[in-house]
Amino acid sequence: MLKNMYNWIDERLDITPIWRDVADHEVPEHVNPAHHFSAFVYCFGGLTFFITVIQILSGMFLTMYYVPDIINAYGSVEYLQTQVAFGQIVRGMHHWGASLVIVMMFLHTLRVFFTGSYKAPREMNWVVGMLIFFVMIGLGLTGYLLPWDNKAYFATKVTLEIANSIPVLGPIMKELLQGGTIVGAETLTRFFAIHVFFLPAVLLTLLVGHFIMIRRQGISGPL
Amino acid sequence: MSNQSDQHESSNKPPIRKEMSRRQFLTYTLGGATAFMMGGVALPMVRFAVDPVLRQKGEGAYIKVVEASKITTEPQEFTFELKQQDGWYLSTATLTAWISKDEKGKIYALSPICKHLGCTVGWNKNQEFPEQYFCPCHGAHYTKEGKQLAVAPKPLDEYRVKLENDWILLGEIIPNTIVK
Amino acid sequence: MAHGDKLKEKVVFVGDSRVRKGNGFITPPDYTAYPGKSEAFIPNFLLKEWMVGVVVLVGFLVLTISEPAPLGFPANPSASVIPMPDWYFLFLYQYLKYPYASGDWVILGTAGIPTAAFGGLMLAPFLDRGKERRFYRRPIASSLMLLSLAAVVYLTNFAWTHYQHELKLAGEKPEHIKREEQALENRQKGLPTSNAIKQEEIGIVDKEDTAMETYKTATCISCHAADLKGASGPSLRGVGDKHDKEAILAIIKEGYNNKMPAMYDTAIASGLTDQDIDHLADWLAKQKAEQ
Repeated sequence: MLKNMYNWIDERLDITPIWRDVADHEVPEHVNPAHHFSAFVYCFGGLTFFITVIQILSGMFLTMYYVPDIINAYGSVEYLQTQVAFGQIVRGMHHWGASLVIVMMFLHTLRVFFTGSYKAPREMNWVVGMLIFFVMIGLGLTGYLLPWDNKAYFATKVTLEIANSIPVLGPIMKELLQGGTIVGAETLTRFFAIHVFFLPAVLLTLLVGHFIMIRRQGISGPL
Repeated sequence: MSNQSDQHESSNKPPIRKEMSRRQFLTYTLGGATAFMMGGVALPMVRFAVDPVLRQKGEGAYIKVVEASKITTEPQEFTFELKQQDGWYLSTATLTAWISKDEKGKIYALSPICKHLGCTVGWNKNQEFPEQYFCPCHGAHYTKEGKQLAVAPKPLDEYRVKLENDWILLGEIIPNTIVK
Repeated sequence: MAHGDKLKEKVVFVGDSRVRKGNGFITPPDYTAYPGKSEAFIPNFLLKEWMVGVVVLVGFLVLTISEPAPLGFPANPSASVIPMPDWYFLFLYQYLKYPYASGDWVILGTAGIPTAAFGGLMLAPFLDRGKERRFYRRPIASSLMLLSLAAVVYLTNFAWTHYQHELKLAGEKPEHIKREEQALENRQKGLPTSNAIKQEEIGIVDKEDTAMETYKTATCISCHAADLKGASGPSLRGVGDKHDKEAILAIIKEGYNNKMPAMYDTAIASGLTDQDIDHLADWLAKQKAEQ
């Protein structure tokens, strides 16, 4: 049944090469931890992606309860964490996952740096990777405000003051992020929109680019 | 994906083999690992999402509405306030009940939400239908016990009624128990 | 149809298709030049990768179950807390406290050095262009990276220990711990544990009091409504928060801000006694928002 459905689609769209390419491409021995244990450093990129997937999923589920509004935001977070079954775990996944993504990405970056894998012809992929790094940092920053507790509020105030001290562009950036003259209702909705729609869209685009480039160029050779 | 690899398998190798090939074993293990990872991630989230459905629905609280001595055989309208906990949001809903007693003195309270399309009915509101509940939207009307006479498919709902120290307490809304 | 018997074939693009015939989806890179064997991505390699993934996932789930995500008290602009960013910003936070990154040099601190550092990192492939990949053969790039790493670790650690020290000095605990302890205490006492901002409507206190009747008889009802929510007059729910009993009595006797006339005579005329009105004022003074 499934096979017939697959064949029907494949006859028309010739989809076999697509997954075949992903499934059958060869992976060299020097990145395989089963051959050289030290090759586990090559896992960090994949783990970053895995945690990112968890982040996207848990974030989607969290928005089922969360409201980006200064009166209800805290209440909804508190409610989903303390009243909803498994709420503590799902919010925990998103909270600790955010830290874990940063850790994994940091280790991945260091691996790429110290193995010199960013060198020609892979310069573009390094730049895209760094952009992903900045987007992740941005996601961490905007997500921090959303529970609207004291820590979030004051940390965001400080961040915006830092933005403010950048010459010329700073004040404009601050006001743009803040959405007004104080950190308040408009800041929260802005940060929510950036955290949930804008940055993830950018992130996914960059990730696609990152992966296509890896497939095009292959893994860098052994040292 | 694993389905596809199997198919790929069968096209390259003799179709009938009793032992499991290395590749098959790896594929099954990979499938198992995939299932574990997806399950581990998705299960808490799915349980989290379906929580409202699995919530224990507690018996609603009773609200003090009116002294029992004020109830006559003629239905009267009473409003009362109900505190609603809606997730993290606590609100007060104002509800209306038409309370009266039958010949035996049994007190019952009807909800004025028309069973046709949810408009609000009123007692004796239309001269054509005296001594009846009448709904202005589509002309549904009901007897004093809430029995539907036209348009509506069901009788008017009732509130659970409790008597305490000569006060009438109303609880949650239930389907009419007096008439069918 | 002409191609009726060709249905079993894979799609073949013919005629005016301007898409050039390629050789596969993406030409797979050739690893034959590398030493050692290579193996297929699925299932051989991915299985190993996912064994690592499973271990990480189990550890991660244990963490999420054992350690709830921190949540403090609702944001309050006038609260006094020591603001702390998330841990991965600590190094920036600490570095901005130094003399050449603050004060007159704040531009250097917030824009100059971070731009140079992160810009340099991003442009690393264009700055470090030699063919050599081993880190010990690239002393400049590697030492710069190690130096930055050491700086980041040092700054993060310094900021964290300083924060702990400050907390100890102030005799405070981080808010999320305070909230958890408070919630635990309240739960044991059977009190509500929520800190959420309540936006509930103020209810009527002592609805069955005889003053409710007085309220109707004294015609208060015509302006302030039967449910006290107010009509042409303001809502009287929670009026006890604004005025005490004496003030309410004064308002009944003398009116309020030229908006409300003196109602005392009207009330007496409708058959009420001084005692009734006194009791009414008492009752209104009790109308406070629930704490």
